[in-house]
Amino acid sequence: MACSKENKVLIHQYLDEDMTLLEKKQFEQHIMTCKDCEQDLKELRKTIALVQSGSHFEAPANFTENVMKQLPKQSKTYKWKH
Amino acid sequence: MDIVVKKIIVEVKKGDQQAFGELMDLYKDKVYHIAYRMLGNVHEAQDVAQEAFLRAYTNIDSYDINRKFSTWLFRIATNLAIDRIRKKKPDFHLEDQVAGTEDLTYYSQISSEEELPEDQVVQLEMQEWVQQEIMALPPKYRSAIILKYLEDLSLKEISEILNLPVATVKTRIHRGREALRKRLKHS
Repeated sequence: MACSKENKVLIHQYLDEDMTLLEKKQFEQHIMTCKDCEQDLKELRKTIALVQSGSHFEAPANFTENVMKQLPKQSKTYKWKH
Repeated sequence: MDIVVKKIIVEVKKGDQQAFGELMDLYKDKVYHIAYRMLGNVHEAQDVAQEAFLRAYTNIDSYDINRKFSTWLFRIATNLAIDRIRKKKPDFHLEDQVAGTEDLTYYSQISSEEELPEDQVVQLEMQEWVQQEIMALPPKYRSAIILKYLEDLSLKEISEILNLPVATVKTRIHRGREALRKRLKHS
């Protein structure tokens, strides 16, 4: 059976470690007895792990060069300063 | 802020384009990655990332050197990505293939003669599927989830990038996480 809405909010606070020590202990006790919340917590942890497992993409090789070509012309004052 | 970055930016502010190139080399991968995750398409990601740097260059005078540069830059990039998503909304249907997935890069980045080991294929398919589910999130949840879990930024930084109170960022992460949980639970 689905647990209360309040407890569903608590799952997220628990994941964010956004709780006092007492709240954390109380919530952990709740998890021990509530299959529904335990299941949700498990699924959320898995979801986070899946999202985090994504590889990081690198910009294409000529990226900097392409942007540099599009920059407005370097100001004369700058060249003059050197 | 990093003293090296600060020095480079001082030069950029004076108008040194070479220094801007150095700055780009430091941040291009991150900016591109955020854009890719937001848009799910390599061409659009490249467009948005390039535009973000061009805007950063032309607006460098308005950047306050005492603040974190990446926060300012990522804000430009996420705003551009969100604009882009809004613009393409009219021709977007839920039953369509997720935008850009047909040219998803995982396979195209690997030469075709090369046989991939089975577990690597599974890994790539898995990543492709997770990206599709991220793309299915409403943009406001998508940006929060990407910055938190793929860029590993603090709530405070995310709130500065998205220009939202920390409490709102938290709510968006909670909702995004919940939506993803429902979609990914049958994996």
